[in-house]
Amino acid sequence: MKHLTLTASALALCASGAMAQELNIYNWGNYTNPDLITKFEEETGIKVTITDYDSNDTALAKVKAGGHGFDIVVPSHSYIPIWIGEGLLLETRPDEMENFSNVADEWVDVSWDPGRHYTVPWQWGTTGVVVNTKYYDGDINTSSIFLDPPEELVGKINVVPEMGDVMTLAILYHGGEPCTGDKDVLRKVRDTLVDAKEKWLGMDYGNLEKFAKEDLWAGVNWNGSTFRMRLQNENIAYGYPKEGFVLWMDSVAVLADAQNVDEAKAFQNFVMDPENAALISEFARYANGINGSEPFMPADMKTAPEIVIPDELKAAGHFTETCAPEVQELYTRSWTDLQK
Amino acid sequence: MVEATTTQVEQSAAKPRPKRGPKGYSLRTLPGFTFVALFTMIVLYAPISILVIFSFNEGDSLAIWEGFSLQWYAKAAANEQVQEAAIRSLYLAFIASTIGTIAATMAALATTRTRRFTGKTMIYALINQPLMVPEIVTAVALLIVFAAIKVATGHNSMIYLIVAHTAFCIPFAYLPIRARLETMDNSLETAARDLYASAWQTFRMVTLPNMWPGIIAGMMLSFVISLDTVVITEFVKSAGQDTLPTYMLGQLRRVVTPEVNAISTVILFSGAILVALFFRLTQRKG
Repeated sequence: MKHLTLTASALALCASGAMAQELNIYNWGNYTNPDLITKFEEETGIKVTITDYDSNDTALAKVKAGGHGFDIVVPSHSYIPIWIGEGLLLETRPDEMENFSNVADEWVDVSWDPGRHYTVPWQWGTTGVVVNTKYYDGDINTSSIFLDPPEELVGKINVVPEMGDVMTLAILYHGGEPCTGDKDVLRKVRDTLVDAKEKWLGMDYGNLEKFAKEDLWAGVNWNGSTFRMRLQNENIAYGYPKEGFVLWMDSVAVLADAQNVDEAKAFQNFVMDPENAALISEFARYANGINGSEPFMPADMKTAPEIVIPDELKAAGHFTETCAPEVQELYTRSWTDLQK
Repeated sequence: MVEATTTQVEQSAAKPRPKRGPKGYSLRTLPGFTFVALFTMIVLYAPISILVIFSFNEGDSLAIWEGFSLQWYAKAAANEQVQEAAIRSLYLAFIASTIGTIAATMAALATTRTRRFTGKTMIYALINQPLMVPEIVTAVALLIVFAAIKVATGHNSMIYLIVAHTAFCIPFAYLPIRARLETMDNSLETAARDLYASAWQTFRMVTLPNMWPGIIAGMMLSFVISLDTVVITEFVKSAGQDTLPTYMLGQLRRVVTPEVNAISTVILFSGAILVALFFRLTQRKG
């Protein structure tokens, strides 16, 4: 048995020896279309390995510690300034890459990576409200669905416990700017949230089933998740609050200590191709920010009201940002009041 | 759960539990015994049964039953990432539990087949330390140390996971082996030495065959523990080193389909079979 162990350990050591043309992608679990990877491998001859993470914080902690062996990471927009600030990302200049012309204009000069010197769009989505229209047939494009709920929905509301998203929705509802330090606005926000909470059923994740079974009738939710709810129950609709809703985007970045830089750059260029971007969306069911990908998208996504933001509401979309520490402190205090 | 398992292990390995106490007293006659027992069983097993039931769901829901189907098992089996993670998990568990059991056997011999020496209790505590320290503490500590080594050597293989898993496999293997050694009759070994057997001959022909059930039990227990561990693996793994538990953890953030239930059910039953074997072996009278 001892002998076997030695042999096996020796094998393990050999397996790590560098092979030509590899790429190690570190991405959210269940987020990468296997067909996309197969296509990339066939076109380039590069062997891809995917490893999963389950939160921005885990990914950041592991990469910061070093020695991880990853080449590519896909962080959320609010974390990218941290990644860049810590010197963890390589300035690969995607804006000078061949396929960059496909990136939709609105996704070029983004606040977290102006001019796209580091990152390439992967997928984006929104946080808005979900309503079962069987129980409420009024206007659903408003945050009052959960902040000042109509009589019919009281006691059947769930709000996802995401501080950044919920606080931003409430601040926008009161006419403030995301990351505002204005005490008057924040006081109103806290009072509104605390009062509204009386009329909610809960603050939980993972409610797809409860909405589908009509145990919950309304709440704050993500667009892709609401899309999947509607596929199970056609009464479910997604609303974009006109007072302001939340936008988010995950982007593909190359790590500063990547071992396979050329392969990683090739991948960044690859995902900006419309056909490939459509493959990303087809799997995870979010929009991708690449012009010309629509013809390759699955039919049910092209027109899905959860994916396509109505033109008149587009301006109401806001990105959550990493606020200044003293502002973050105020938010955390209101949030704690809400959790009591 | 960890502590419960180890006490059970010690008890069952040490001596068969007496069915009745000294004065004919039996726990079973206490009022409410049946109720508490039933309640405990329901709390323990109802959620797991629901998980198992929905792994056979035809639809992709975890709450709405749409008919019987094996499609999620087929999907999981056909999923390349699941296959690779499963093979990696088994490979890791096999190597870590083998090395861990060898080390644990030596440690158990050193702490039971020697004269009392100072620091014995200390050594006992040190060996069992991984059982007491919260997993997340070990994980963060290993992340820091291994990351430094990985950066310094540029070496990124499974060896780090093997070392980490072996470390916590040792106490799990150690407990049943030590329990076995403590209940074994010393006079057999003394007799062998009296008959001019060398130390090595005594060990090979008397001690080892007698402690074998303990070793196998220890190895199976540590195998299952290695297969289950998620926090340490998540922090230590490098590129391309997802195990089944870390793969499943990654799935949870997005939509959970019964595929995860199907994988869990397979792990559950493989684990149950190993634990059942473990009890058979430890209860067999040597």
